This record gives sequence, C-alpha cells and structure tokens, in this order.
Amino acid sequence: MNSVTAPDSPKLTAATSGFVLAAIIVVLFNTALAWTRDAYAPLNDFMKSLTGNPWIAHCFADLILFAGLGFILTKTRAVEKTDPNRLIGALVGAVAVAALGLVLWFAVV
Amino acid sequence: MNITASDAILLAHATFGVTGCLAALWVFVEALNAQPGNGARIRTAAFVTALSMAAAWLCGGYWYVHFYPADRILILKGPWPFAHNLFMETKEHLFLITAILAFLLPVAAREKLSSNAVARKLVLAVAGLIVITGLAVEGSGAIIEHGVKVALLRGGSKGDR
Repeated sequence: MNSVTAPDSPKLTAATSGFVLAAIIVVLFNTALAWTRDAYAPLNDFMKSLTGNPWIAHCFADLILFAGLGFILTKTRAVEKTDPNRLIGALVGAVAVAALGLVLWFAVV
Repeated sequence: MNITASDAILLAHATFGVTGCLAALWVFVEALNAQPGNGARIRTAAFVTALSMAAAWLCGGYWYVHFYPADRILILKGPWPFAHNLFMETKEHLFLITAILAFLLPVAAREKLSSNAVARKLVLAVAGLIVITGLAVEGSGAIIEHGVKVALLRGGSKGDR
C-alpha cells in the first residue's frame, strides 16, 4: 500500500458542473431581466411582441439559456476543473442574491 | 357545485407546486443518508421534483396569462394592492429560479452520492433551495388570493378597518 499517494478529491462530472454554472448564470440573469423589463418599457414591449405576453418570453429566455449554456459548458468541459465546493457556494449565493434582489426591487420601486 | 376551468387550473398549479416541494424534501432526506441502495430512489424523487415543477409552471403560466388580469384589477382597486405589486411581481420571477433548480436536481442526482461527498453536498443544497424558494412562492400565492378576497369583501371600502 502506498501511503504517500493521496486519494483523488471527489469531483463532479462535466455535465453536473456545466449545468450548475448554467444555473448560476440563469438565476442572476432572471433577476437582471426582471429589473430591466420593469425599468425599461421598450424591452417589455419588444418581449410582448414576441410571445403576446412578456412573461412568456422571459420564461423562454431562461429555459433556452439554461439548456444552451448547460450543453455548451458540458461539451467544452469548461468548468470541470473548478473547485466543486466553490461552485456550490456560488450557486447558493446566486440564489440568495437573486431572490433578495427581486423582493427589494418590487418592495421599493 | 360550479368549478370553473380557472378554479381547476389554479388548484392544479398549487398542488403540483406543493408536490414538487415535497419531492425535493424527499430528495434532501434520502441524500442525507445516501447509500448504494437508495440511489435509484433519489433519482426517482429528483425526476418527480422536476416533473411536478414543470406541471406547476405550465398550469400557473396558463392561468396567469388567461385568468389573472381580472384578479389584478380587483387587487389593485382593493385594500391590499401590495398583493400584486410586491407578492405577484416577485412570485412570477422567483418561481423561475425554483424551476431552474428543479431541472438541475435530476442532473446532480445522477452522481454517485454514496461515494462522492461533494456531489451529496450539491444535491442537499439544490434540494434545500427548492424547498425554501418553493414554500416562499406557495405563501405568496396565498397572499395574492387573499388580496382578491379582501378586495371583494371590502369592495368600495378601501382603507376601512
């Protein structure tokens, strides 16, 4: 037994880490888009012209971005070597910031 | 008894949402005790979470687009305008975060949780966030419906106590 060789630290697969980063980006994008739509009427009108209701276009934007980024990041293995603990911390932080951002925006504005 | 399509769709939306939260809680508890024997159960519960949230999204979205505008007018004229201005505005966007997390959960649950501590930590984090944000969305829904109720019960008596 070679006691010098340390076991590999646990990692996430390329698909998992790719989709976690995609989720982090989409969660923040979702709040940013909500703010922008609320503050800038022409964007809201444009999104309304696409689907009849701007919220539906917002949903499609989130879904397409999540699926697209998830598959791209999985294929390119761009996040595979990122520390998984940092990725998990970033996800929790992004959800907290995005949720609080929504509440404060609609409470104050 | 007179149950309209609006009633049925709204109740289905809330039911699927609660089912999704319960399924995420199921994933959380199973992941706390992840072993080779419960891996399939975790993956099933994660899939049920995603499916329930997708159904809640479709029902809620259809109801929001086709039936909510009338309720919005009532709420804004009633004594609880914040039920729309704060709670509905936040809910309609916060739910999208819950849904994205619900779609991430089955991907994360494919990892070998019994032998990979960091993957277990990820599944616990995602499932926990779904439960927390999902319950916040459910609570917002109750406040929005109460906004309609008080507008109807106290119609024309805005500000009266």
